[in-house]
Amino acid sequence: MKRYAAILTVSLLPCLAAMTQIDKNKAQGNPMAPVKIEVFSDFTCPHCKHFHEEMLPLLMKDYVVPGKVYIIDRAFQLPHEFSREAFAFAIAAARIGKYQPVADALYAKQENWYTNGNIWSVVAGALPSAADQKKVQELSKDPGVLAEIDAESHEGASDGINQTPTLVVTVGGRTYPLPPAPDYRLLKSMIDGLLPK
Amino acid sequence: MYWTALVLRVIVGAVFAYAGYVKLRQPWALFAMGIDSYHILPYNLVVLTARTLPAAEVAIGIWLLIGVWPRIPATVVSLLLLVFFSAMVHAELAGQKIDCGCFGTGDPISKWTLLRDGALLAASLFVTWQAFRRSPKKS
Repeated sequence: MKRYAAILTVSLLPCLAAMTQIDKNKAQGNPMAPVKIEVFSDFTCPHCKHFHEEMLPLLMKDYVVPGKVYIIDRAFQLPHEFSREAFAFAIAAARIGKYQPVADALYAKQENWYTNGNIWSVVAGALPSAADQKKVQELSKDPGVLAEIDAESHEGASDGINQTPTLVVTVGGRTYPLPPAPDYRLLKSMIDGLLPK
Repeated sequence: MYWTALVLRVIVGAVFAYAGYVKLRQPWALFAMGIDSYHILPYNLVVLTARTLPAAEVAIGIWLLIGVWPRIPATVVSLLLLVFFSAMVHAELAGQKIDCGCFGTGDPISKWTLLRDGALLAASLFVTWQAFRRSPKKS
């Protein structure tokens, strides 16, 4: 019996190694949902804004709220001068459980800070409490936060992702990287086809 | 010439059947998203193509492999490859960073994929030319 357990453990090691660290503060839905969708995006990317504001609400209504899909935001830093700073504030906000309001604000006012670089005013506007603002400012300089941006971007690049937003769908151990910005009707068909009958 | 045509026919047929098989093993909507990323076809045609093309590729690829009445499958394969290659060149020239969708996902259009599909198209055209040049028995 011990031998079978040892064989099972050894055979599962590659799977365990492949499992990525998930920042639960950047995730929405039931972690036990049958379908997992990772969204590799960048706050400076207009298509990501479109995804966040147009497609994500539909996904939330149709699949995340009913517990069918677990959706996780992933950083994929593009070569834009304000990209890293925006991620630093967003991930810092995630550390105090305020990721979604900050992400919403960054996308809503993307056209402003994208050009003038005044990211903090947008982030501060999404955090009513002065204490939260102070924490986020401090955490945004934390090496762990900056390392998370690098780690997620590197992970995306090593998975062959080269543009944003890229959705990676995982179900039953199989992973499907989707073409960027898919049509919602096709995404819906795919998820419906993957969900257990 | 006969043996060259025979070898190329087997290669093109096998590659075509394999490409369809790989797509059939994936969700059809994934292939549909790949087609849609070219921004060439309207939604309904994207769905129709994604639903039917993989099975057709397998069938035509096997037909070409078997070699019965080779003019028909060779012509169909050549026409399809011409369409695929044109779409890929168009996407490359337009600067679209998309997957070619040739063998499922994870195959971005590059000089390598263009060279590969271009070579396949050239081989297919040669096979078609040979099929029409020779009598059906000899082909």
